[in-house]
Amino acid sequence: MTTRPGRAALWFVLAGAVLVAALGGLAIGPVRLTPVEVWNALGGRGDVTAVAIMRDIRAPRVVLAALVGAALAMSGAALQGTMRNPLAEPYLLGVSGGAAVGAVIAVAARAPFGFVPLGAFAGAVAAVLLVLAIARAGGRRPDPRVLLMAGVVVGAFANAVIMIALASAPADSVRNALWWMMGSVAGATWVQVGWFAVYGVTSAGALLLVAPEIDVLALGDDAAASLGVDVDRAGRRAYVIASLLAAATVATAGLVGFVGLVVPHLVRARAGRRHRGVIAAAGLAGAALLIAADLVARTLRTPSELPLGAVTALAGVPFFLIQLRRFR
Amino acid sequence: MHHRSSTLVRFAAGAGIAALVTACDAHPRTSSADSAAAASAASIIDDFGDTLSLGALPRRIVSLNPATTELFFALGAGERLVGRTHFDIYPVAAQAVPDLGNAIQPNVEAVLGARPDLVTLYASNSNRHAATRLRAAGVATLTLRIDHIADFRRSVGILGRVVGDTVRAHRVVDTVSGTLERVRATMAGTKRLSAFWKAWDSPVIAIGGGSFLSELVEIAGGRNIYGGDPRPAFDVTIEDVVRRDPDVVFAGPESGARMRAAPAWRALRAVREGRVLIIDTMLVGRPGVRLGEAAVSLARLLHPGSIP
Amino acid sequence: MIRFDDVVVRYPRATAPAVNGVSFDVPTETITAIVGPNGSGKSTLVRALLGRVMLERGDIYVDGKSAAQLDRRKLARRVAVVSQREEPAFPLTVRDYIALGRHPHTHLWSSVDPAGAAAIARAIEEAEVAAFVDRTTDELSGGEWQRVRIARALAQDASALVLDEPTTYLDIAHEMAVFELLDALARRDQAILVVSHQLNLVARFAHRVVLLHKGTVAAAGAPTDVMRGDVLERVYEWPLVVTRDPAVGAPALLPLRGRRKP
Repeated sequence: MTTRPGRAALWFVLAGAVLVAALGGLAIGPVRLTPVEVWNALGGRGDVTAVAIMRDIRAPRVVLAALVGAALAMSGAALQGTMRNPLAEPYLLGVSGGAAVGAVIAVAARAPFGFVPLGAFAGAVAAVLLVLAIARAGGRRPDPRVLLMAGVVVGAFANAVIMIALASAPADSVRNALWWMMGSVAGATWVQVGWFAVYGVTSAGALLLVAPEIDVLALGDDAAASLGVDVDRAGRRAYVIASLLAAATVATAGLVGFVGLVVPHLVRARAGRRHRGVIAAAGLAGAALLIAADLVARTLRTPSELPLGAVTALAGVPFFLIQLRRFR
Repeated sequence: MHHRSSTLVRFAAGAGIAALVTACDAHPRTSSADSAAAASAASIIDDFGDTLSLGALPRRIVSLNPATTELFFALGAGERLVGRTHFDIYPVAAQAVPDLGNAIQPNVEAVLGARPDLVTLYASNSNRHAATRLRAAGVATLTLRIDHIADFRRSVGILGRVVGDTVRAHRVVDTVSGTLERVRATMAGTKRLSAFWKAWDSPVIAIGGGSFLSELVEIAGGRNIYGGDPRPAFDVTIEDVVRRDPDVVFAGPESGARMRAAPAWRALRAVREGRVLIIDTMLVGRPGVRLGEAAVSLARLLHPGSIP
Repeated sequence: MIRFDDVVVRYPRATAPAVNGVSFDVPTETITAIVGPNGSGKSTLVRALLGRVMLERGDIYVDGKSAAQLDRRKLARRVAVVSQREEPAFPLTVRDYIALGRHPHTHLWSSVDPAGAAAIARAIEEAEVAAFVDRTTDELSGGEWQRVRIARALAQDASALVLDEPTTYLDIAHEMAVFELLDALARRDQAILVVSHQLNLVARFAHRVVLLHKGTVAAAGAPTDVMRGDVLERVYEWPLVVTRDPAVGAPALLPLRGRRKP
């Protein structure tokens, strides 16, 4: 599958997967609509209710799920290469912990609705900066292993803060915070999608740009140095871009785990191995998977919804086990 | 403004508690029939299955159950209260009673510090530990779950016996029941509108058949679209609500405003037609002595001018 | 072409420096070999050249300019290093891996590399890895991997090649092939610096030998001058005999059976 026609086929398959998932996401839901009605409603014609459902409920969800899934997968692929660790993923490095702290604080302080994503993003940025500072303060040069350890430490610290905050918060805040932490694209609006699209596309573009550096970093410190790469600076650069991208997903959709970890592995074997291809393929695969996961989350237990993070984790575990077997 | 938002918070807390309770709890332990049969003249078995013996009348009562605080005042035992929860501010006199914190997982130490001889608790599984500890410290506990209107009647009866004024208790029940019956009779002839009661936004939580709110809606001449579900509250997707196509939506002031503004909710015919009915969260927030007035307010919202 | 000038390197929290005032040249068109016992500072010199450790004193010059001053990419275009051990975290096709050797010549935003294809092709041919160029790096034997790494360094098109223990895992035929390749490259005008434990091969192929002992240069010069019994025995602390090999007359070392510690 590393031959040219093989790779071309991969892109077709992935693009097709995204398309199929999106169609499924748009067409399926508690309100039954025929394909014709779906088509008309998307175009703004036909029953007012159907139009509102398609344009203001399902479509923004599907698009946001695609964007968030793509962002998480790309972030994970980049981080795995940079850290030279197949277990690296955006949430392992303190980003999710920091974002959760920010969000929980915003919720507990009874900030108006719109402040939760801001709080989450601020928390995530703080976590990234803290990780960099810790890695640097260690005295040694902040190589990827030190970054990884610092990330784990910051994540653990963030969890402790969250537990304290929730323990002293009133019941409704707890419910709010828990719901947010379980991950969801349920309340997706086009405004949210717009913001995330702008930010996400920029960050993803940056990742694709530095992908060749990640290729070199993935070889090892000595090899990277001998190829003219400033290991520390390049590593930090990739880490920051990938982490901020993940931070934006947490701010928008809460904690959606496993996507950043598992999807890169799924595409690595077939996407030609160089990170530009891997990251791009991971983006497509992540989009398709998260659209599908969201579809499952909102149809499996009607009228209620499963948390998106739970669905990805449940699906992610078997995938991961399959990958582990291949690793041998 | 501040008052508004804090009442919303208190109502939301009540609904939130209800919702949290659904997440944590098993089915209610006792039905009214059971406890009526099990209670003897000298003791009551509460909703945790614990026995409360009715010896001397309690002098110092801590009410950690928003509904019972109100009832104690209605039964004339308000001055015996030495503690309430953070959310109990009705009637106004209740605000003078010391605030001892949460109703769910209460601060046992603070409660003991008020030296009560009786503590009423909300029947959530999260409170079992507190109940055990209070009993171990020699304090009598009475745990009540008041989800349905029938629970309300039973609880008033129990509290009447506890404070030693069953006559007054009967009067309270009769007044409330009388109003409810009047409302039901008046609204029986009107067109039955289907209603969706939105208790929370994120996630969207609907009130189900297991809540007194659903019963009030029925009495007021409406039909809860989720009335068939036995749970008091549970989360739903917007699309599912759209599928059930309610005629009206009941929501609190902030919740309602958000609904009108959000593009996603415009999929609801009720929202497009402007039929988002704003409830008075203080009035309908708990199954207390004002149930009758609550039913009246809902009826007036559903069919303005139907009840003078 | 590369000049080490009084280089001192001390690892953090170490009492003695790993490299303590080492000076020597690596001229073009020659193979310079660094030999010495374990821990004598050989790999540290390579790391210092890569910029992976800081110099406490002294300097390393590449083409007359201080390596510390040179932009990393420029340095990589002049000096290609094959370090002792390398294990990519994720498997790569051999072809893609070798192509990474062109990284110092390309920018992130443009993958234009006119000399690239030719350099890669030549590297594949010279390192003799054409047979498995479509396999992935995790499917190679130790020896094949070693040659692929050399191929990547060759694709870098640098004028100096530094190799740290390039013949580990290689059988006799492949060892010889590597050294003959180095010889051919030196003839072509490259400056070769090789760190090796294979004293006999060094004796055969190197034009200059630098013998390190505890961070200092114990001897430097032509193989015949450095590879002498008394010097080597003192430095390696093992009895050995130096003769001439019958094939080309280079010094040949024969270690003797060791003494038993009392």
